[in-house]
Amino acid sequence: MAELDTSLTFNQTVNGMLEFVEVAIHSILYVRQIYPADLFVRRKKYDTPVFQSRHPALNEYISGAVKAVGEELIFGNVDKVVVVIKDQEQVPLERYIFSLRSMLHVEAFDKDTSVEGAMSAAKLGQYFRSFLIKLNMVESQLGMLELHDNASFAIVVELKDKTPTEIHEKEPPPWVPADIQHTTSGASENAELHLLRAVDTGIINLSLAVQESEEKIRRMDNKGSKAIDKGKGKEKAS
Amino acid sequence: MEDKAKSVGPTGSLSSDLFEPDDPEFAEFLQTTVLPGDEQAERPSKLDNDDSSSGERGLTLSKPSLKRRHSETEQPIPSNPVQLAQSVEQPVTLKNADIYGAARFGHFGEYMRRKRAKLQIQNADMDVSENDDSERRTIFKGLAIYINGWTEPSVQDLRQLIIKHGGIYHPYLDKKSLVTHIITCSLTPAKIREFKNMKVVRPEWLVESAASGSLLPWKNYIFRPGDRLQESQGTRTTQQSLFTISESRPHAITGHPNNQTPQEAPQSEVNPFNDSPTTHPATKTFDSRPLYMTDPGTYEEAARIPGYAAHTSNLMAERVMANPEWRAAHTSIAPDFIEGFYKNSRLHHLSTWKAELKNLVLEAQIRAENGAMVTPSESSHTKNPQVSRKLQDDPIPEPEDGVSMKGAELTIRTSPKGKGKAKALQIERVIMHCDFDCFFVSAGLVSRPQLRGKPVAVCHSQGSQGGAASTSEIASASYEARSFGVKNGMSLQQARKLCPTIVTIPYEFEKYRQFSLQFYTVLMRYADDLQAVSVDEALLDVTSAVSDVKNQVSRLPVSEAITRDPAKELAEKIRDEIRKATECEVSIGIAENILLARLATRRAKPAASFHLVPEKVHEFLAPLDVDDLHGFGHSTRQKTQEKLGVTTLGELAKKSKAVLCDALGKGTGETLYKAIRGIDERRLESDKPRKSVSCDINYGIRFENGEQAKTFIYQMAQEVSRRLNSIYMLGRSLTLKIMKRDPNAPVEAPKFMGHGVCETFSKQMALSGPNGRPTSATTVIGDHAWKLLESFDFDPKELRGIGIQIQKLEMSSNSGSTEPGQAKLPFKPVPESPSKVQASSSRRDSINNPIPPVIVNPPSQDKKLLDGLPKKAAKPFVPDLPSFSQVDKGVFDALPEDVRKELEVEYKRRSHSPMPAQTSSVFPIRSKSSEPISDYNNRITVKGTNVKRITQQLAPRNRASLSPRKNMLFTKRDGPSALQVSEAELEKLEIDPEVFFVLPIDMQREQLLMARHSRARGASVSGDHKVIKLPDRFPSTPQRKKPIPKAVHPHVPFLKQQGKQKGEKLYFTETDDVQRVIEVWVEGFRERALNRRDVDYFSKFLVESAESGDTGMEKAAAVMKWWLTLLRRYWEIWEHNNNGSSEDKKFTGKPTSEIIGRTWWKAFREVKGKVDAVARKRFGGSIAIK
Repeated sequence: MAELDTSLTFNQTVNGMLEFVEVAIHSILYVRQIYPADLFVRRKKYDTPVFQSRHPALNEYISGAVKAVGEELIFGNVDKVVVVIKDQEQVPLERYIFSLRSMLHVEAFDKDTSVEGAMSAAKLGQYFRSFLIKLNMVESQLGMLELHDNASFAIVVELKDKTPTEIHEKEPPPWVPADIQHTTSGASENAELHLLRAVDTGIINLSLAVQESEEKIRRMDNKGSKAIDKGKGKEKAS
Repeated sequence: MEDKAKSVGPTGSLSSDLFEPDDPEFAEFLQTTVLPGDEQAERPSKLDNDDSSSGERGLTLSKPSLKRRHSETEQPIPSNPVQLAQSVEQPVTLKNADIYGAARFGHFGEYMRRKRAKLQIQNADMDVSENDDSERRTIFKGLAIYINGWTEPSVQDLRQLIIKHGGIYHPYLDKKSLVTHIITCSLTPAKIREFKNMKVVRPEWLVESAASGSLLPWKNYIFRPGDRLQESQGTRTTQQSLFTISESRPHAITGHPNNQTPQEAPQSEVNPFNDSPTTHPATKTFDSRPLYMTDPGTYEEAARIPGYAAHTSNLMAERVMANPEWRAAHTSIAPDFIEGFYKNSRLHHLSTWKAELKNLVLEAQIRAENGAMVTPSESSHTKNPQVSRKLQDDPIPEPEDGVSMKGAELTIRTSPKGKGKAKALQIERVIMHCDFDCFFVSAGLVSRPQLRGKPVAVCHSQGSQGGAASTSEIASASYEARSFGVKNGMSLQQARKLCPTIVTIPYEFEKYRQFSLQFYTVLMRYADDLQAVSVDEALLDVTSAVSDVKNQVSRLPVSEAITRDPAKELAEKIRDEIRKATECEVSIGIAENILLARLATRRAKPAASFHLVPEKVHEFLAPLDVDDLHGFGHSTRQKTQEKLGVTTLGELAKKSKAVLCDALGKGTGETLYKAIRGIDERRLESDKPRKSVSCDINYGIRFENGEQAKTFIYQMAQEVSRRLNSIYMLGRSLTLKIMKRDPNAPVEAPKFMGHGVCETFSKQMALSGPNGRPTSATTVIGDHAWKLLESFDFDPKELRGIGIQIQKLEMSSNSGSTEPGQAKLPFKPVPESPSKVQASSSRRDSINNPIPPVIVNPPSQDKKLLDGLPKKAAKPFVPDLPSFSQVDKGVFDALPEDVRKELEVEYKRRSHSPMPAQTSSVFPIRSKSSEPISDYNNRITVKGTNVKRITQQLAPRNRASLSPRKNMLFTKRDGPSALQVSEAELEKLEIDPEVFFVLPIDMQREQLLMARHSRARGASVSGDHKVIKLPDRFPSTPQRKKPIPKAVHPHVPFLKQQGKQKGEKLYFTETDDVQRVIEVWVEGFRERALNRRDVDYFSKFLVESAESGDTGMEKAAAVMKWWLTLLRRYWEIWEHNNNGSSEDKKFTGKPTSEIIGRTWWKAFREVKGKVDAVARKRFGGSIAIK
């Protein structure tokens, strides 16, 4: 596959990133048990097992969101894509932050020219695998959500500062303004950041970090102390 | 005095002949004028003025002219001198001023015209000055002589001699037709070529003629470059000198050729004739029949040639080859080598003629089939003396260059071919094989009856030249010579050993050609079908002619009819006719098929006919040997000998077909099996199309470097191309055959300049011109051939023979413009050279109206003759040169120097001329030669074809590759047929003009229409219409394309450290490395107080890392994690103990592990805070390091 060995083109990179984000969103939903596990089917992607939702509406939502991300990513406007996991009060508990940093501007006629010095497609695939493996393991680093059936999630796109919002004449933009508390800038100082993985393609640099919100940490701490306090009781209860 | 003048009168009137037809005015003037210096007449005063004004006239005046007196005698003498003066005054003033007047600026032509006029006056003076012997004066009457170059005696003496004896001396060779003879002692090669069709004579002719008082036959004084007499070949040839030197080298070297055997000839090296051939291992020991050829290509062949020493180098050749000048002039390096080679190559002539004969036969058949030809009526085939006489008498016009059969016509018997063939199928076929008896010799003997009955051979080497060592090949030997054992193909040297008295005669290609045509003309009358085997050999189907004879015979009494063989009768009739036409004997073999007819001819020879009747076939064949059969050669014989032990057909007849196929292979075995039984199913191949065109040269090939070889290849390509064009064929495949000196063979072959023993190679490749079409272009053929030669990678010095063959021929008309998308080559039809046009026209004339060809004509008659065909003669082909910018510089530089100079002059001239665009009109004016023209221009005109060829070469090569579609595109764009749309309008219609104009015309129209419609009716209609507009993403100028995008990688911060050696710097960027450094650092300061600078140093690195990007942050986190791990390993207890009594212990002299631990933790938190700040900015929150 000679094509995989040559360095990426801009379009390849964009599509690769979007594809990965979509796969990763499915994985996050599975890993964080936002939906019941039997809603997911095990698939293979990037040479690693991944779980994909079988729910058409959910899939449509995800892919629609990713497509909308793509429309912005093409122009290099995207800064981050955040999957926010929140409770029933819309309080963000965890944020999965895909940082998509566009490194260069590529002219339209060069979008399909392979970028000199960029990563090769094969290598990028391997990075994605490492992302997904880390993502599947992230459970161990993070505290339990204990949301049961009340969890929900949102996909938030953070554009670069000072990027004018694209004015689409024909159709309204697919996005609605996000809750400030859902965004990364709404995160408090005490939120804990877990850097999962980062890759430097030379075209769009991607990193995935998980942020546990202050609220979650507080809840966990409370729970922790409660657990210590009520350890006996809990045992009783169970 | 008056008497004297009168006696001069009649001859004196000749003086008008002195003047060229172009100058009738001047001739008239001479008749009427009174020349100054005349003692008798009163000189008109005006003449005096002229006299003093013209200095040049002194020369003419020095000798008093008697001319005037003569002219005066013709006029009525006026009684009144004044009257005379008046009557003469007018012409004198006008004409004399015309000749002797001052030259005006820019009248170069005038100068030359005057000069010639003056010279003629001078001649006229000479003419009359010594007119004592009127009888002598008529010797050269009718001769118009031009003297070229240095002569002995001098030009002046000769001129006087000519004039004195009534000849006309031409100081300039303006028109070749005006001059009957050219006198010279030496000529340049270029001149030799130029004059090759003229009578070039040595001055002795004039001198001796004058001495003897009568005009001696000029042929005895023909000038030859090598001073070698060879009548038939005229005076052509530069490279006859090649043969002259090669074959008569003692002549050239010792200077006494005739009575001296060559002293340094390599006789001693040559084995005596009867010696066993060679000791080479390849020699076949068994039953090798002697082979007769002079230049064998393989050791096998060489071994079979008696007296051929394959390993002996030709010393003479070695010596002359050492002389670079000689090499340059006579080997393949010489620029005109190919031309010369073909002019002297017997095989070339024969093969060319054969091809031409085949064409003639084919044409005749086509005509017969079309019924367009009125042929001699059915009964006329018995005899048509008129035709044959016509052929004999009709001087087949001298071919202009080389000897060619072009222009001849053969007529075939009336019975159309189809009919004849149909008949042939039903009735028993009668095939005749007609063959001249030693054609070359008998043709040569026609004009040398004294040699009849003597051993005669035809070869290049003549007389005693070359002596016993001559390697010249005998092309044909008479039966007398054959009785001595001389065979065709032997070298002269071998033949001399067998027959010392053998007489050699030269080739007479012209005669062969003529005889051959006559031969075929006769045969055509009887043949239903005819296959031209070679110039002197033909196969014909005479079935219907024989049945005609049969019918006649059947009317005779039965007793007589039985004894008569109609076929044989017919054969004898044919033989008679041919004998009448050519004075040569023909042998005819008659049989039912080709194979047997050929065998019958063997029996028939010499000079007889033989009918091999079917009943006797077996008897006839039995004693014959395998290689007696046509198509079976030495190798077949060897195989049968080897594998079957027999070679006679009688023995082989006993073998089964399977055995034969086993021994000889399926094809050959089967053919032989049938042949032995007298079965031959082959048809006459009269209409076999030409399958290939080739050019092979294996004589004189001696290169020194690749460049020479390349040049030669291209020359050969030119030759091949010429041949292709002459038959209107294009080729698709090219084969290059290479003969390379066998490593064991001597550098110089035993045959002088021959190829010697060689290894042969051949390679084939597809040949494609522009657009992949078949081609005949010189450059394409040359390129391909050279590519192939290069691919062999041979040392050019080793090359001995090169052959270029073009196969897969297609008619050039087939690939005409009918097919789409294919380029039409802008070739003009190759026109005949002016001289050719003239020749052919005169030929045509001589056929149509029986004007006898004039060989020696006084110019006055000549003029009339020329007037008869003025247009044809005066309008030679006008070649035009491409403009100088179009000239391919490479080709231009490669041209021979003289040609290049001519072109340069011409271009220079054009650049000065006011209307360079109309240059083509310049040539016809100049070439009319009615005005005096300078020499070089004259030469340009003469070499009309040359210039044409050059112009074709000079033309830019890519011109041909321009496809018609492209052509159309460009013409549409510029020409009036393009859509007339202004850019402004296009822009108004939102159409990008740049794109628009590139579109094909129909698309343009469509787009324009749509755009206009949408304008007119509003945008709603044009919903589906795509406006042509360059997408704005595209740069308007694509050639200014930006470089491809480069990936941007964040700057990777590094940890710099002093290495162990002085000056060595270590840089750490990878996570692992940095972690190791941290570990070393932590370990190193376990017992000591932490250095503040170290902390800053790490902190700076980590912050930079985190800031540099996500990967950097990842790295920073990993390093921090490791640092944390290390700290926990040593000082875990103080991690969260922030508010301990650190202040208290500050005073102790030695830092305790607690203090150290605390400082470590403090530093860690500090650094983490900084990194967190970075992370917060990016993601929010702080990095969780646990």
